[in-house]
Amino acid sequence: MKTNVVWRLVLKDWQLQSLLIIISIAAGVIALAALLLRGTTSLVLGSVFFFISMMFCACLLPITSIVNERKKQTLPFLMSLPVSASRYGAAKLLSTFGMFLVPWLTLLVAALYMILVRHVLPNGVIPVMLIVANLPFLGFCFIAGTALVGESEWWGNAAVATVNTSYWLVWYLLVSQVPSISRNWGSPVAVWAPAVVKILVVQFGLILLIPGLTLYLQSRKRNFV
Amino acid sequence: MTDYAIELSGVCKAYRFFDLQNVALRLQRGTIMGLIGPNGAGKSTTIRILMGLVYPDRGEVRVLGHRIPEEQVAAKWDIGFASDDMRLYDSMTLGWHINFMKSIFASWDDAYAQLLLKRFGLNAEQKIKGLSHGQRVKATLLLVFARRPKLLVLDEPTTGLDPVARHDILRELTGVMAEEGRSILFSSQNTQDVEQISDQITFIDRGRIIDSMDKEVYLDRWRRLRLEAPAGVELPALPGVIEIQQTGRLAIAIANAFEPQLPNAYENSGARVHAVENMTLEEIFVANVERSREQEVKA
Repeated sequence: MKTNVVWRLVLKDWQLQSLLIIISIAAGVIALAALLLRGTTSLVLGSVFFFISMMFCACLLPITSIVNERKKQTLPFLMSLPVSASRYGAAKLLSTFGMFLVPWLTLLVAALYMILVRHVLPNGVIPVMLIVANLPFLGFCFIAGTALVGESEWWGNAAVATVNTSYWLVWYLLVSQVPSISRNWGSPVAVWAPAVVKILVVQFGLILLIPGLTLYLQSRKRNFV
Repeated sequence: MTDYAIELSGVCKAYRFFDLQNVALRLQRGTIMGLIGPNGAGKSTTIRILMGLVYPDRGEVRVLGHRIPEEQVAAKWDIGFASDDMRLYDSMTLGWHINFMKSIFASWDDAYAQLLLKRFGLNAEQKIKGLSHGQRVKATLLLVFARRPKLLVLDEPTTGLDPVARHDILRELTGVMAEEGRSILFSSQNTQDVEQISDQITFIDRGRIIDSMDKEVYLDRWRRLRLEAPAGVELPALPGVIEIQQTGRLAIAIANAFEPQLPNAYENSGARVHAVENMTLEEIFVANVERSREQEVKA
């Protein structure tokens, strides 16, 4: 029986990137633990570092896992295995998404625990926290897709720069253009305003669309190495 | 089952500054073919096309009976591929790489891998970043050889290696061929290496195959004749002679279709034959490329 090479490539990436995943989770958990100290400074620092740990993972994982494969010339070694360009792309997306989802979900669950069980923040912050937590996820999809399809360090770096600068623009637009967000984040209960739901639907739509588009473009490549 | 491990016909691939033109190549099962060409000749592009890494614009490619690129996954189970631009994971040990390959290929031969570790002087516990260039090449080839593939495709595997390391690798390549039915396509700029192990030779230059035949036939058909012409006589290029270099009375005739009667023919035309010399593969290669380029300019 022939081995599932895609699955082996996924496992290989998990082995190679395990340290990065552990560091991301540890940094996020430390940031959340700062919230337990209460007080405005620890609240601001904890929230900012929580977000940074997600961004760290979103930016570094595609670079170390996808861009470096080409830069360090390990790609020809992988392509000598029984895989095509599209299967390699599928393996890369599966592994990087899986690796990103572990810290992302861990940190999201930890943040919800802090809000719902430890009550460090009011429940009204949950909708905006979900929107904000989706931003690194979206950024990750964009960087991973661009790095895979763009095939160069330049495209990977350009995607990282674009994502990192756009976070603050998106954050500004959310606060200034969606009044229901700032109006409700101090509420004792989570308020799912239509604008918030729309934003979440668009975010999840893009999170599904970008990997699909990446796989499609990858399968149409005629020059791979 | 087809008799050929590799079959390329009418393969074309256009890039902005380079064209692979109408490449036709056949590697019979159980033989070693040396693909020789200068830098930028199209060796790597040809090899990438037959590995399915680059899609041709036109033409047909079959490897081990599989259509490429469509059936590349099925074909690659039986192809061992290594190229000079291939690197292993620096932060991992050779042992990790061995286990990785073992987890994929049921054909992995552990005993042979251990033997190669000893023969190549490698340590499985060592990280790749601690290996020298020669050791890295040997480590890569170990991973390829121990899979026991039916076809080995090696793109300049001996580039940058010292003579001892080259000897080790060429010896293993010859050993691989001891198993019946295995085939090797071996690209190189080093004609000595190719001459040492190949059964068939293919010359490629500027994206075109300029010649392809059995090594022995090549070496047999190409000769250099050192001649002395009578005063004031310009020697003719007799049938089978592709080039005459004459300075005063001394002349050198290069024959690519040498026949035993050729020296007599020159004697009959008034010349004295001082010597009939065999040519090395490198000399044949250079003469072939120069001739091909001259013809290209004339056309």
